[in-house]
Amino acid sequence: MLEIKNLKKRFGDKTALDGVSLSAEPGEVVGFVGANGAGKTTTMRIAMGVLAADTGEILYKGSVLGAEQRRGFGYMPSERGLYPKMKTGEQIAYFGELHGMTRAEAKRSTAELLEQLDLTDRAGDDVQDLSLGNQQRVQLAVSLVHDPEVLILDEPFSGLDPIAVDVMGTALRDRASAGAPVVFSSHQLDLVERLCDSVVIIGSGKIIAGGDVEELKAREVKQLRIRVDSPEDLTAALPGVVTRDGENYLVEGADDQEALRIAAEAGRVSHFAYDQPTIAEIFREAVKK
Amino acid sequence: MSVQNREMSKLRGLLLVAGREIRVRGLSKSNIISLIVTVVIVGALASLPTILGGTDDDRSEIGLAGENAVAMEAQLDAIGGFDVTMYDSVDEAESAVVDGEVEAAVADGTLYSEDGVGAELQSLLDSAWQSATVEARLGDAGLSPDEIRQALTTEPLEIVSLSDESSVIGPLDYFTGLIISVIMFMMLMTPVQYIAMGVVEEKSSRIVEILLTSLKPWQLLGGKVIGLGVISLVNLVAMVAVGLGVAAGTGLLSDLPPGTASAALSSIGWWLVAFLLFGTLAGGVGSLVSRQEDAGSVLTPLIMALSVSYVGAIFLLNAPTSSFAQVLSIVPPFSGITMPTRMAVAEVPLWEIALALGLLAAAAVGSLALGATLYKRSVLYTGSRLKLGEALKRAA
Repeated sequence: MLEIKNLKKRFGDKTALDGVSLSAEPGEVVGFVGANGAGKTTTMRIAMGVLAADTGEILYKGSVLGAEQRRGFGYMPSERGLYPKMKTGEQIAYFGELHGMTRAEAKRSTAELLEQLDLTDRAGDDVQDLSLGNQQRVQLAVSLVHDPEVLILDEPFSGLDPIAVDVMGTALRDRASAGAPVVFSSHQLDLVERLCDSVVIIGSGKIIAGGDVEELKAREVKQLRIRVDSPEDLTAALPGVVTRDGENYLVEGADDQEALRIAAEAGRVSHFAYDQPTIAEIFREAVKK
Repeated sequence: MSVQNREMSKLRGLLLVAGREIRVRGLSKSNIISLIVTVVIVGALASLPTILGGTDDDRSEIGLAGENAVAMEAQLDAIGGFDVTMYDSVDEAESAVVDGEVEAAVADGTLYSEDGVGAELQSLLDSAWQSATVEARLGDAGLSPDEIRQALTTEPLEIVSLSDESSVIGPLDYFTGLIISVIMFMMLMTPVQYIAMGVVEEKSSRIVEILLTSLKPWQLLGGKVIGLGVISLVNLVAMVAVGLGVAAGTGLLSDLPPGTASAALSSIGWWLVAFLLFGTLAGGVGSLVSRQEDAGSVLTPLIMALSVSYVGAIFLLNAPTSSFAQVLSIVPPFSGITMPTRMAVAEVPLWEIALALGLLAAAAVGSLALGATLYKRSVLYTGSRLKLGEALKRAA
């Protein structure tokens, strides 16, 4: 389990992080969401040891994370970077070796990734000769080449084409099902909703909301949505404050069982459920507070 | 399968970085081509004295006639390098010169030539004539040939310089010194720029952030310095080997002053220390900027220091015993180029060499610490150029 505990970091007189904590269980995909400048990148940089925190600590499997363990992590920084004048295949394998693989292992893993990313025939080209989209795929390969046991990815989906988004999403889920904690930040909240087990929302250097995706949604339930196959207008008949949303009735402040009974008497009830907020709505709510 | 437990030694990281530099830069087409071109130039330069002075091997054709002709022939044979033709009369010898059969003719105490002979040939013929005349006169006086030989045999002057200011430099010494200073200058200038450019490349492409998750700053900087050092060392060794090899092949090496080969070899040692100094500093100052176009400005002090060393070395070639030369060849970082140059052209007291090497090594250690600190503190900083003071104040 990866635990980030009470991180504080100041840049000059600007407080970047003010007690940020989050954790990722083995096999858990954690979405890290926040506005620009909220502290996501700083948190991830500290977790990867690229930046030092003023206070706070990073624990992995219960003990303070060391450089040796961190080498087994996969990292994608928000500022992408590759050697422009190095051959694609050579470059991916080089990072595999830097992460502790033997030359042969690194080459094998590179070949597999190139195949997956449809880059095999570009392996001998300099990275600077690839299109931007393909460079992004190489960046992805660089973060996955050493078969990482923890993934920390800063905006991994930004700039990816749909195919690469799928590859990335699959890779995240694959790593998670193999037991790796995965933390990634994204502004694409639909992706976060689809891929994540839990979400952490950061605002101005503080964690403002967080938890299991399903629980979060359930906590922030909104109105009851009812659809009835009936020619009658039930707006007056249903209890509480009732509004129409097309074919649907939105009911607030009423006993749901009573509403169900009245609806069922009027006709066949084809939809009866509380509306759940999307992650995007939860995020907007949290940031507003 | 997890690779986390596989221990990656610190050395391996360093060597991986160095290996990448060697693969990407050393084996690049441009480096290989420039190495071949440089080696060819050095080879040509080393054989130049032989080609230019090649007329030495040409034998002079001399005609002899009249008085003392036989004794003269014996003298010229003893000196060597002459093709002698004997003529029956002075007139015949004269017309042989006019016809171009011989270069010059000596007959009855007169030197005949088309339009004068060189000073060297003239003095050789002069001294041969004098010896021949003396020999003939001693014979006339009744001495036996053995007695004459004894009387004429003298040891050449032994040369002892009493002043330290033996500032006369042979042209070959000068040439060696010039080549050493040029090569040292090039071999420091090029990798220093490559190191700084490489650091800026990693910074400007932001790849350094990924690198630093699996490498320590010192491994990244050290690997780069070692990698470019190896590339340059290979170039340097190739040049010195070709230079000395060609010199040995053309027989020039034995004509060179005895210190030349060792001066050339010791240059490699001087280069190593000087490279450590300039290389680590280049990495440190390179990390102060985030864009390739800013690299020039932070490198200026290093390039100035190298240029001053080089210009100083050229100056020193003309006055190797001046106190300016003495100071410049001891004070780091200039001593890196000026001392090996000075050693090639003059006798340098051992204590001065030791002092210069000690100071240079101390400066190298200091710049290693400074360069590494600068690098560590500023390599992740992006944006406008960091001032030196700010960089040193920054926390890592």
